[in-house]
Parts: sequence; C-alpha cells; structure tokens
Amino acid sequence: MAAARPRLSAGREISGGRAMEAAGGEQRELLIQRLRAAVHYTTGCLCQDVAEDKGVLFSKQTVAAISEITFRQCENFARDLEMFARHAKRSTITSEDVKLLARRSNSLLKYITQKSDELASSNMEQKEKKKKKSSAAKGRKTEENETPVTESEDSNMA
Amino acid sequence: MSCEETVERLLRLHFRDGRTRVNGDALLLMAELLKVFVREAAARAARQAQAEDLEKVDIEHVEKVLPQLLLDF
Repeated sequence: MAAARPRLSAGREISGGRAMEAAGGEQRELLIQRLRAAVHYTTGCLCQDVAEDKGVLFSKQTVAAISEITFRQCENFARDLEMFARHAKRSTITSEDVKLLARRSNSLLKYITQKSDELASSNMEQKEKKKKKSSAAKGRKTEENETPVTESEDSNMA
Repeated sequence: MSCEETVERLLRLHFRDGRTRVNGDALLLMAELLKVFVREAAARAARQAQAEDLEKVDIEHVEKVLPQLLLDF
C-alpha cells in the first residue's frame, strides 16, 4: 500500500494541484473500503457454509480475520499474476497464470486445472454455436446478394 | 458489482503496470481460487477448534492454522 501511494501522487502532481492528488487518494481509499466490504460479505457467507458443514460457530472476529487475510493475500496474488504474464511477454493475465499461482498444493492445482478445462470446453461450445449461427446467416445473405444484380436498386437489404 | 468485476478490481488495485489486464477465464478461476482460500482457512480453523474440543472457532485457531495455509497457497 505504501509503495502504491507515491506513484499515485507523482502522477497527480503532473496534472497539477494538491486537491486532485487528495481526491485521487480518497477515491482509492473508497474503492478499497468497498472491496474490503465485498470480501467480508462473501467470507461471511462461505464461513456460514463451513459452519453448517462442520457443526461449529465462527466468532465475528474470526470471520473478520479470515476476511482481512484474504484481502491482503490478494496483493500477493495480483503481483505474482502480473509477473507471470510479463514473464510470458503478455500484458493480459490468462488461466495459465492462475494455474501457475496454484502450484504449491497438488490438490489445489488439480482443482483449478479442472475448473480451467471446464471453462475451456464451455467456451468451445459457445464458439461452435456462434459459428453455426453466423454460417447460417451468411448462407441466407449470399442468396439475397445474387438477386439484386438482376433487380433494380429498390431492393432493401436489412 | 458483479463477482467478476469485484475480482478484477481487487487484483487491479495492486498491479504495478497500468497496461496489465485479466481475461475472463482467469477472473473466474481467481474467484474460485479465492473461494477455496476462504473455505480452507475456515475449515482448518474449525478443525483446530474441534481438536481442542471446542465448538466455537476463535482467532487463536485461525492463528494456529495460518502459517501452513499461507505455505499451501
């Protein structure tokens, strides 16, 4: 966090004015708060599931601690993912980078790889559907294209 | 905010390069990874409490399982 701030203010000073710098920092703080809240909410839901599964109760502080740990771990994840992508000479992080992130535990890696394969196959299915739709549409269009040559310019192509 | 958008903003918060992006599949996978992370933390802490014959999971239990959790991720 400390490392991020100087970078932000350096950018803002170029555009001029301490007011803008403060506003930028405030916006970032607001975003951080929103994200923290979102993580806390989801952590609460997931802890509730685990509580029911195991027949235990989680204290509020426990949920808050897990939520904070997760939020902070995101920083490590984000930096690693960025490095992995850059190492592969890409600027877009892909599922390959996420798989690399999950390398430390065999079962975790297996789980993530499985999810990645599921996503890949459902993407393929969607592409197949799109291809079928567009080739059907193209088939219809070529028929319409041939007739106007003999007809007048009044024909409308929607 | 949708799940994907939240994850994207969470990650983008810490990127050092302004050009770094995350593709759709990677976002979904990261959402899964984060869910697993939380569930693992919760489940391990619960197991720790149960090993101590307790029904209530408290911070000490999280503290005890935290080192191995971070090593596994």
